[in-house]
Amino acid sequence: MSALKEWFTRLLGTFRRPATDLDDELAFHREMLVEKLRAEGRSLEESRRLAAIQLGGATQIQEAYRDQRNLPFLETLMQDVRYGVRVLRRSPGFTTAAVLTLALGIGANTAIFTIVDAVLLRPLPFSEPDRLVTVGDREPDGTSSNVGYVTLAEWRERSRTFAALTLMRSWQPTLFVNGEAERLAAVRVSWNYFDMMQVRPALGRTFTPDEDKPDRWRVVMLSDALWRRRFGADPSIVGRTIVMNDREYRVVGVLPPTFQPLDAAKFYTAAEIWAPLGYDAAFRDACRGCRHLRAFGRLKPGVSLEQATAEMNALREQQRRENPNEYEDGSIAVVPLQRAITGDVRTALFVLLAAVAFVLLIACANVANLLIARSLVRQREIVLRTVLGAARSRIVRQLMTESAILSVAGAVLGVVLAAFTVRVLAGVAPVSLPRLEEAAVDGRVLAFAALLTAVCALLFGIAPAFRSGRTGAQQALAIDSRTSTGGASRARSFLVVADLALALVLLAGAGLMLRTVSQLTKANPGFNPSHVLTLQFSLVGKVYAEDPAVVAFQDQFVQRVRALPGVESVALAGQIPFGGNYDCRGFHARGFMKANTIDDPCIETYGVTPDYLRVMGIHLRGGRFFDERDTASGQQVLVVSETTAREVWGGANPIGTEVRIGSADEGPWRTVVGVVADAHHADVTTPVSASLYMPQTQFTESYLVAVVKTATSDPASLAPPVRAVIRELDPATPVFGIATLESLVADAGAQHVFVMQLLSGFAAVAVLLASIGLYGVVSYTVAQRTREVGIRVALGAKRADVVRLVLSRGAGLVVVGLGAGLVAALLATRFLGSLVFGVSPEDPITFTTAVGVLTVVALGAHLIPVRRALRVDPATALRQE
Amino acid sequence: MTQPKSDVLQGTLDLMVLKTLDTLGAMHGYGIAQRIQQISGNLLQLNQGTLYPALLRLEQRGWITAKWGTSENNRRAKFYSLTRAGRKQLEREAADWMRIVEVMARVLSPGEVM
Repeated sequence: MSALKEWFTRLLGTFRRPATDLDDELAFHREMLVEKLRAEGRSLEESRRLAAIQLGGATQIQEAYRDQRNLPFLETLMQDVRYGVRVLRRSPGFTTAAVLTLALGIGANTAIFTIVDAVLLRPLPFSEPDRLVTVGDREPDGTSSNVGYVTLAEWRERSRTFAALTLMRSWQPTLFVNGEAERLAAVRVSWNYFDMMQVRPALGRTFTPDEDKPDRWRVVMLSDALWRRRFGADPSIVGRTIVMNDREYRVVGVLPPTFQPLDAAKFYTAAEIWAPLGYDAAFRDACRGCRHLRAFGRLKPGVSLEQATAEMNALREQQRRENPNEYEDGSIAVVPLQRAITGDVRTALFVLLAAVAFVLLIACANVANLLIARSLVRQREIVLRTVLGAARSRIVRQLMTESAILSVAGAVLGVVLAAFTVRVLAGVAPVSLPRLEEAAVDGRVLAFAALLTAVCALLFGIAPAFRSGRTGAQQALAIDSRTSTGGASRARSFLVVADLALALVLLAGAGLMLRTVSQLTKANPGFNPSHVLTLQFSLVGKVYAEDPAVVAFQDQFVQRVRALPGVESVALAGQIPFGGNYDCRGFHARGFMKANTIDDPCIETYGVTPDYLRVMGIHLRGGRFFDERDTASGQQVLVVSETTAREVWGGANPIGTEVRIGSADEGPWRTVVGVVADAHHADVTTPVSASLYMPQTQFTESYLVAVVKTATSDPASLAPPVRAVIRELDPATPVFGIATLESLVADAGAQHVFVMQLLSGFAAVAVLLASIGLYGVVSYTVAQRTREVGIRVALGAKRADVVRLVLSRGAGLVVVGLGAGLVAALLATRFLGSLVFGVSPEDPITFTTAVGVLTVVALGAHLIPVRRALRVDPATALRQE
Repeated sequence: MTQPKSDVLQGTLDLMVLKTLDTLGAMHGYGIAQRIQQISGNLLQLNQGTLYPALLRLEQRGWITAKWGTSENNRRAKFYSLTRAGRKQLEREAADWMRIVEVMARVLSPGEVM
C-alpha cells in the first residue's frame, strides 16, 4: 500500500516542476554545521571544509534526491519523447507521410477487427454459450439439418452428454390488438427452451411441461420490445389473454430486454413472441420423417463436442436399426451455436482480416523504408551524439521512441478513422452479418489497436534503429550522405519487393472477387427477376379454416390485381426462389421408388396459381402448366422441373406417370402433366435443386407470396395498390415482406459484393503504398547517381542510355517482387474458397491482369525519377562534390 | 578493510529516522542527523546528505510529513514529524528488529546449544 503510494507520488513527481526546497534545506544544514564547528573553536575556513565533508557532495545528493523524487526511467523516456517530437516536427513532410500511412494501416485493421470481433469473436450473450449447440443430421457443408419430434424425444431419454435438448419451429401468427392486425415474427419452442438458454423472465414465468402438449400449448411469452410496442409495457399483461389467428392465447411471461433471440433469428426470423411446441409422439407432424424442427442442446459441463457427437452417432445408429425405414445412411453434426449462427460469414470475415493485415504490413514496410532513408540523412547527427558520449543503447532507445511516437500518432488517427469507417461499413454490409449492429470501437478494440501500434513500432522501428546504433564513429564521420551504404540499400530493396508481392496478392484477390461478382450477375437464376414485385400475407383465422375459403380469396386476389393498371400478370405461391424458405417433400414416383422409400428424393415444393410461370419467366419444356381445369375435385396434377425428371426418371418422359408427394403409402396419386425449366432456389452459387409444382387448388397453402409482373419500370410502385386489394378483401390480413424480386436476387449475392468492395479498396491502398515505396527507392537511387549520370552524359550517353540506367535499378525489384507475389497469391487465393464463384482461384486472366496493373503502376513510379535523370546537367552534376 | 565505523544500511536509516522523530517530535534534517550521530556515539559514519533522499522516501510512503517552520536560532527550516501510519510502521519495524537481534544474539552466543 505504502509502496504503491510512493510509486504514485514519484509518478506525479516526474511531471511536476522540480522544487527548490532541497537547496534551502541543504543550505540550512550547512550553516548549522558550520556554526557548530565554529563553536568548537575552528576557523571559518576549516569549519566550512569539514561541513562540506560531513554533508557530502551537493551534486550527488541532488541526483539521489531527484531519482527518489521521480521515476528515473520515466524521466529518460520523457526526455526521449520530447526530443523525438522536436525532431519529427522539424521534418513535417516525413512525419506526415509516415503518420498517414500508419493511420491508414492501423485504421483499416481496427475497423475490420471491430466487425470481426462483434460478429465472430465476442461470446454469444447467453450464459455459458460455449455449451450451446445445434444438433441434427450432418449436411454436406458441415451444418446440422432439421429433425423430427420423435427422434429428438428418444435422444432426450437416451443421451448422457446433454444437460438439455430443445426443439424450435417457425411460426407466423397474426396478432389482433384493437382491431389492428400485425403479423409477428415468432417461434414455437420446447417448454425447457428458456431453461436451457438460462433466461429468467422479467415478468411472470416460462413454460411448464404441461403446456408443451397438443391443445394445451396456447400460452405465450412476449419479447420486451413487443410488450412495449403493442401492450404499452402494461405490467398486468401476465395472465391476460391476447388474440392471434382468431384464437386466444394466455400471456405467461415477458422476457427481459437483454434477451437476444439470435438462434431463432438465424434459422427463422428474430422472434418477438414464443409459444410451446405442443407436440406429442402421436401428433400428426411428430413423425421421424417430419423433419421440420431445429434441435438445440446444452452440453453437460466438461463434455466435449467430440464426446457428444460420438454419443449422438451411436444413438442415431441405434434408431436406424430400430426403424430402418425412417433413417437414411448418414451421421450427426453437433455444431457450436456460435459457429452455427455465424457459419457462412466466417470465411468472408477472416479473408478480409487477412487482407487488411497485408495492408498493415505494407504500411509498416513503407514507414520502415522512410526511416531507413532518413537514418542515412541523420547519420551525422547520430555519430555526433555517439562521439559526445551517448551510449549505443541510448541511441537505439531514442530511435525506437521516435518510431513509437509515429506509431501512436498513426494509431490515434487510425482509431478515429476506424470509428467512422465501422459506421459506414455497418450501413453497406449485407444483412447476413449477425450482431453487426453491436460493432463499435470499445475497450477490446482499443486494446487491439494498442497491440497493433506496438507491433508496428517494433516492425518498422527495430531494423533502422539497430542499423543506426551500430554505425561506428569513425566510419560514420567519414561517410558522405550522398554515398550509399550497401546494407541500407539492400534493406530498402527487400522492403519494396515485399510491398509489391503483398500488393499483388491483394490485387489478385480483389480481381477474383470482381470476376465472381460479374459471374453472379451474369448467371442465369432460371427465372427472370426484372419488373417483379413480391409481397407476403397469411390467411389465418376461423374464416380460412377450410381450403375452399383460401382458394376463393386467392381467386379474388388474382382477378383484382390483374385488373390494376400496369399489371401484366400475377400469381400466388407458397414460396418463391430466393425467398429464404425451403420446403422439400418426399417424392415417390410409381415404378421408380427405392426399396426403402425413405431413400426416395426430397424435392423442393411450390404450390402455385396458374400464371406463376408467366410472372417468373420460367420456360415450359414439355406438356402443360396449370389452368382452370385443375380444380380441387379434378384430376390431381403435378409439374416437375427438368432436374427432377432427369434424377427420378433418368431421361424417360415422365408426363402421364403418377407420383405420391409426402408419404409413399397414403394420399392421392398425382399425374405429371408438364416439365418446366430449372430455377435456382437458394441462390445461384448453390446447384439447381430438383423442384415440383402443384396447383394451389389441390395443394392449398395459407402462407402466401404474391408475385406481380409489371409492364411499368418500377415494380415497387405497385405495392400500395396491391396492398389496397388485400385490405378490400380482408382488412384483418397483414401484408409483409414487400420487395422486388431483383432486390432478393441482389441480396443473395450481397456478401460477395461486400467482400469484393472491401478487397478492392484494400488492393487500391496496397498498390498506392507499394508504388510510393518503389518511387522512394528509385528516386533516391537517381539522386545518389546524379554524378554518374552527369559523367555518362558528358561522355556522350544518349537519353535512352540514361533511361535504361534508371530503369535497370527498379526493374529488378519489380520482377522479383511480382514473382514472389505471384507465388504468394497462388497460395493465398485458395483460402477464398466458397467466396469465389464461376472462376478458378488460379484464374489466369485475373493473375495476368493483376501483374499487368502492377507493372504499369511500377513503371509510373519510375516516371518522375527518369525525368529528373534526363534533366541532369553534366556541368552542375560534376561540380556538386 | 577494517573500518571503525559502519556504513548505514538503508533500512536501518529509515528506522533510525522514524525512532528519532518519535523521540524528538517535529525536527529538521540537521537535528535528525545530529541526534543519530550523538545516539550512536559517533560509531556510525553518516554521510549527512543521504538523509534527505531517505526523508523524501519516508514522506512519499506517508510515514512522515514535512512543514516549513522556524528553527531554534530563528532560521527557516523544514520540520519533519511522524504520522499515525509512521508510528505504526516504527512499531512494526522495531519489533522485527528486536526479534532479529534476539535471534542473532542467540546464534552468536558461544555457550548456546542449537
